[in-house]
Amino acid sequence: MNNGLKSSVPTDREVILGILNNSGDTLNKLYKAHFAMILQFILNNNGNEDDAKDVYQEAIIILYNKVKEGNFELSSKLKTYIYSVCRRIWLKKLTQNSKKTGNITDYEDVFVVEEDVEHHEEKDAAFVKMQSALEHLGEPCKTIIQDFYINNLSMQDICEKFGYTNTDNAKTQKYKCLQRLKKIFFQH
Amino acid sequence: MRNDLELDAIIEDYLLGKLNPQETEAFEQLRRNDATIDHKVVSHKVFLHNMEEYAEQLRLKEQLDAIHSEIDVDAISAQVGPHPSKVVQLWRKHKSAIAVAASFIVLSFVSIYSIQHNSQQTDKYVQLSKQVNNSLKTQNNLIRKISSDNTPVNKLTNPGNFGGTGFAVSTNGYIATNLHVIKDADSVYIQNSDGESFKVKVVHRDSEYDIAILKIDDKNFRNLSALPYTIKKNSTGVGENVYTWGYPKDDAVLGEGYVSSKSGFIGDTTQYQVAIPLNPGNSGGPLLDNNGNLVGIISGKETAAEGASFAVKSKYILEAMRAIPQDSLGKKLTVNKKSILSGMRRDKQIEKLQDYVFMIKVYN
Repeated sequence: MNNGLKSSVPTDREVILGILNNSGDTLNKLYKAHFAMILQFILNNNGNEDDAKDVYQEAIIILYNKVKEGNFELSSKLKTYIYSVCRRIWLKKLTQNSKKTGNITDYEDVFVVEEDVEHHEEKDAAFVKMQSALEHLGEPCKTIIQDFYINNLSMQDICEKFGYTNTDNAKTQKYKCLQRLKKIFFQH
Repeated sequence: MRNDLELDAIIEDYLLGKLNPQETEAFEQLRRNDATIDHKVVSHKVFLHNMEEYAEQLRLKEQLDAIHSEIDVDAISAQVGPHPSKVVQLWRKHKSAIAVAASFIVLSFVSIYSIQHNSQQTDKYVQLSKQVNNSLKTQNNLIRKISSDNTPVNKLTNPGNFGGTGFAVSTNGYIATNLHVIKDADSVYIQNSDGESFKVKVVHRDSEYDIAILKIDDKNFRNLSALPYTIKKNSTGVGENVYTWGYPKDDAVLGEGYVSSKSGFIGDTTQYQVAIPLNPGNSGGPLLDNNGNLVGIISGKETAAEGASFAVKSKYILEAMRAIPQDSLGKKLTVNKKSILSGMRRDKQIEKLQDYVFMIKVYN
């Protein structure tokens, strides 16, 4: 299966070092190395391509965060880890959607990753919270905030982008937005 | 409101480290004095942290999406997805189970084949032993060839051409021995332990059980006293200690051992297999147990195996004796009565026994 992708599979050590060094290339290779495995798993267990993508990305994020947090111990092959995480996530999703879960067709070994998945869920909840808060914020606040905090644009850039007469006006606008966002964020 | 915004700006600058030392000092003073401001700082810190994480995750997701868009998902899913054909789907789902089943089938075939193969070997073995059987039809009958230059033991007699052993089954001169001992005889003599020879005639031949009954036909013969041994009608258990007294040479020899099997040569149920080292000349000798019961007649041994000798079971002696007119037997062997040898030491038993066991000399 997919020899082109397989041939560039990085070793587990390379992956860990790559993530720690923010190497986009490593992430790219890692992602492509194991996607087919997860796609097969999801497709054969009542899922579609989009489910596979979501689940797989979640697993990669879990791995990424775990490595970044510095508490990833390579006790098994990364491949097995990723598979186990995906399996766990997918099982949960199936249960939530009350689809049949009795017969999971496995393609790889599995080991216990409950803790990691749960840890990720907490993190993800915060992510969703922020996301929905931003949605509630509405334009132009949402874009201003995103540009400033996420895309790291300077107030000068924002000022020009949104056509404010001076940066102070832009700053005032940003802080107004920020106040509202904080309100929404902490309310929920 | 205006103140709030300024405060927020200052807090953010403070948290991001954008304030100069004096401003930081002043703000920290303010923070210590005003709990509300401190609370605002903390909450803003939490918020910023959340925002940072959000930003990071968002960037990561974008990165992953970008990578994902490079993958030709359809092509892979066509490869790994559930196949429209049920058969292929089944095969994929139960690949391992099918593999197990297949290997099981292969294994069974192999074992069946090997069992057949083995049984073929067994056949060969049987055939082989039949060949052995054939070659052993000469079954090493324990007839002793007496060399013609043997010095005569007794001047009254001539040395015989063949020899064996026989024993009295009645007091008036009936002797049992193996048929093969006297088979081709022109004349048969017996010689007792004192070296006296008597002429005998063959009165019964039982080729089925290889038993012959002789009758002493000699005017010098005086009737024997009561037989010391009795005959055992039932078969003897494996492991029973037995001994024989016979003439593999010119003097009698004791052979001791045990019943090692309830069947004889190639499963012959009319015989016992006994573990007694025997030599030519022992044929026809009595096989007795420790209680002095006659359990068989020594008949031969297997050349191919060490320590496997055979004895015809005693009940066939009884059968052979029935062929003799019962009133002519006189005081004959008694069945299953306690023998007088019972409880005696072996040397005493031999002492009693020796007068009733004869060397058989065959001339032809």
